[in-house]
Amino acid sequence: MADVKVKPEVPDPMDIENRIIELCHQFPHGITDQVIQNDMPHMEAQQRAVAINRLLSMGQLDLLRSSTGLLYRIKDSQNASKMKGSDNQEKLVYQIIEDAGNKGIWSRDIRYKSNLPLTEINKILKNLESKKLIKAVKSVAASKKKVYMLYNLQPDRSVTGGAWYSDQDFESEFVEVLNQQCFKFLQSKAEAARDSKQNPMIQRNSSFASSHEVWKYICELGISKVELSMEDIETILNTLIYDGKVEMTIIAAKEGTVGSVDGQMRLYRAVSPLIQPTGLVRTPCGLCPVFDDCHEGGEISPSNCIYMTEWLEF
Amino acid sequence: MTQAELRLCSLLLREHFGEIVEKVGNSLLRTGPRPLRLLVGDTGLLLDQVKKALCVLIQHNLVRYEVQPRGSVEYEAQSKRILRLLRYPRYIYTAKTLYGDPGELLVEELLLHGHLPMSCAVARVADRLTETMEDGKTMDYTEVSSTFVRLADTHFIQRCPIVAESPRNTKAPPPPAPALAIAEKDMYTVPRLSLIGKGKRRHSCDEEEEGEHKAKRQKQEGGSSETPPDDGIYWQVNLERFHQHFRDQALVSAVASRMDQTSSEVVRTMLRMSEVTTASGASHTQPLSSNEIFRSLPAGYNIGKQVLDQYLALLADDPLEFVGKSGDSGGGTYTVNLHKALVSLATATLESIVEERFGSRCARIFRLLLRKKHLEQKQVEDFAMIPAKEAKDMLYRMLSENLVSLQEIPKTPDHAPSRTFYLYTVNVMAAARMLLHRCYKSVANLMERRQYEMRENKRLLEKSQRVEAILASMQATGAEAAQLHEVEEMITGPERQQLENLKRNVNKIDASENQVDETIFVLESFIESTMKRP
Repeated sequence: MADVKVKPEVPDPMDIENRIIELCHQFPHGITDQVIQNDMPHMEAQQRAVAINRLLSMGQLDLLRSSTGLLYRIKDSQNASKMKGSDNQEKLVYQIIEDAGNKGIWSRDIRYKSNLPLTEINKILKNLESKKLIKAVKSVAASKKKVYMLYNLQPDRSVTGGAWYSDQDFESEFVEVLNQQCFKFLQSKAEAARDSKQNPMIQRNSSFASSHEVWKYICELGISKVELSMEDIETILNTLIYDGKVEMTIIAAKEGTVGSVDGQMRLYRAVSPLIQPTGLVRTPCGLCPVFDDCHEGGEISPSNCIYMTEWLEF
Repeated sequence: MTQAELRLCSLLLREHFGEIVEKVGNSLLRTGPRPLRLLVGDTGLLLDQVKKALCVLIQHNLVRYEVQPRGSVEYEAQSKRILRLLRYPRYIYTAKTLYGDPGELLVEELLLHGHLPMSCAVARVADRLTETMEDGKTMDYTEVSSTFVRLADTHFIQRCPIVAESPRNTKAPPPPAPALAIAEKDMYTVPRLSLIGKGKRRHSCDEEEEGEHKAKRQKQEGGSSETPPDDGIYWQVNLERFHQHFRDQALVSAVASRMDQTSSEVVRTMLRMSEVTTASGASHTQPLSSNEIFRSLPAGYNIGKQVLDQYLALLADDPLEFVGKSGDSGGGTYTVNLHKALVSLATATLESIVEERFGSRCARIFRLLLRKKHLEQKQVEDFAMIPAKEAKDMLYRMLSENLVSLQEIPKTPDHAPSRTFYLYTVNVMAAARMLLHRCYKSVANLMERRQYEMRENKRLLEKSQRVEAILASMQATGAEAAQLHEVEEMITGPERQQLENLKRNVNKIDASENQVDETIFVLESFIESTMKRP
């Protein structure tokens, strides 16, 4: 009897691919090379590689690197359809932008990550923008810098600046208005406390307002179109402290009392300035712009000082 | 000694003492301690004149002398003391508020004369007061001397150092200059004098009344022309004590504006109790227990003990930190933190100057930097909530005025600007010194302007003085109203207006000199207090 050579079954390439896709569906998180090998032990590495490459180029598999090695994941079919018309480079750039999340990524960073030349990058970005897959958002930190992010994502606060910026412009009048409103609220509270004429401890404690109270007051006033958080109000109150109109203390509050953060509460109180405007600024010399040039016998001297003349006639 | 200080000192000397003294003072200030011969050579004046000028300066404590080891005596000008000449009106006014007219005149006499024995001072003041009183009344010496004793008890005036009693060693030659010394305990003891008498007027219209006492008075005069009972015991004004008082006043008014009236009264009581127990340069007062404070409160304030305790607790908790709690004995002991108070007052002064010069937004940035010490440009914009462009502009303006400085922190050894952190910071001492220098120059400018105004209108002033003299003499000899009217007409309407203007301007400039002096006081006290701390 002649040896019957058992011809190893050459698995159909199509079968291999389908099998791999099935495996991917089984493990949505991704499969390693090892898993495929275990499933089809008789397949040669060469054939496996060919099948995987085909799947990748068709855009049905995603190639990811993990700590253990390479992972293959089934690609979202919808996504796959989107990228049908684009080539590999565009897909790469899109991948990078997607990874940046809602902080966006700068064009130079895209270049570093993808190693593509600048002209290519620009062309690809224009392409993607026209397909409405990505958008450019101007950063508030550096006004010339444009960061790219996916079209449907909301830009992060650090890029747009948060509640104080509208369209990349710092809204100083809005801040001023809030400033004055907070100060008026604290001032009226302090006056009410002072008029109540009770013993000093109670008087002082009632003149304090917690940041939560101020926040509620501002929300009820309704002067802000944008929703303001307690941190925003605290930054406004801090500017009042730097104006010297308000002082702050921190007290320990029980967890759970309204407005407390990490067991602490911030209290604010309106105060009047420590001293009257000092003597130096009541004279013309204190505010004179040419003070350093003034000396007796010169062009500008005390004897012919026009500021003094005006001041004396006042 | 900066240029501005020198200029101000020479202006003050010229105004108070005249040109010769100014020349001598100038030379001493510019070149430091020198012996008499060199001084004469420098100033080019006669020896006699220089001697007299030095006498005047030493009498007023503006120049000190020291015996050098070689045997020569060197004279040194005290620039700080000369600058105090500016503050004389404030001292006199304080004495007036505390001790009334006798106190005011006593301090004025002592300031004008430098050193004065008690009997002399009392006599002069009584005379002056009698002149201002109505006809027929005279000022008794006892009232004036009791005020004198009170001034000495509260340390506002002190005895001058006297020549030490040393056994005469006939072999050794007498020292070229006497060494002056005074014991601490003797400084405020008033000699037991029985000063009896009344003040007398210069021009007295009541001849009859005078006639009666004339005989007695002449006898007294005769008695006093011989050695007065307190010969050799001279008194001078204790400027440090007045400064302490000003500082306390500033503290109390700051507490009153930040908290309320009652708290400021409590602080005032605490400061009054530690007036004589605390050294002038101390940074804290002695600890005072709340019981003591309660007992020493002024009679008008009847607040309960518990309320007082609450006020003290509030003061101790306040972010200002003027009052600190140092213990619990006696119901809680409290001290006033003087150094901290001076720092707060000085920073408030700096902030107010920045606010008036540059605007309130700049003041916001300044206060922010004071609190946070070091900040980057971006952080300044974020914290102060000021748009980037404006913040940058303001920071650069303050930087050019040296109120704010930059601190570089390099990331790389080659200090490349793109790789370096630049932090803005405020150096309070440097800013205080710079503004103090500016104050000196401002006061000098104001004085010059005042003198210029007087010079411009010299002719008019002389004329008005002549007219007044004529009027006075005519009134004395008894002239008719018509003649008086004629003489008054010599000054025309517009000229009168000009005179009015001149008086108003000079008063305004004078007042503002005093105001700038207040700023000088705060800044100087702050710098002194910070330098003293170890």
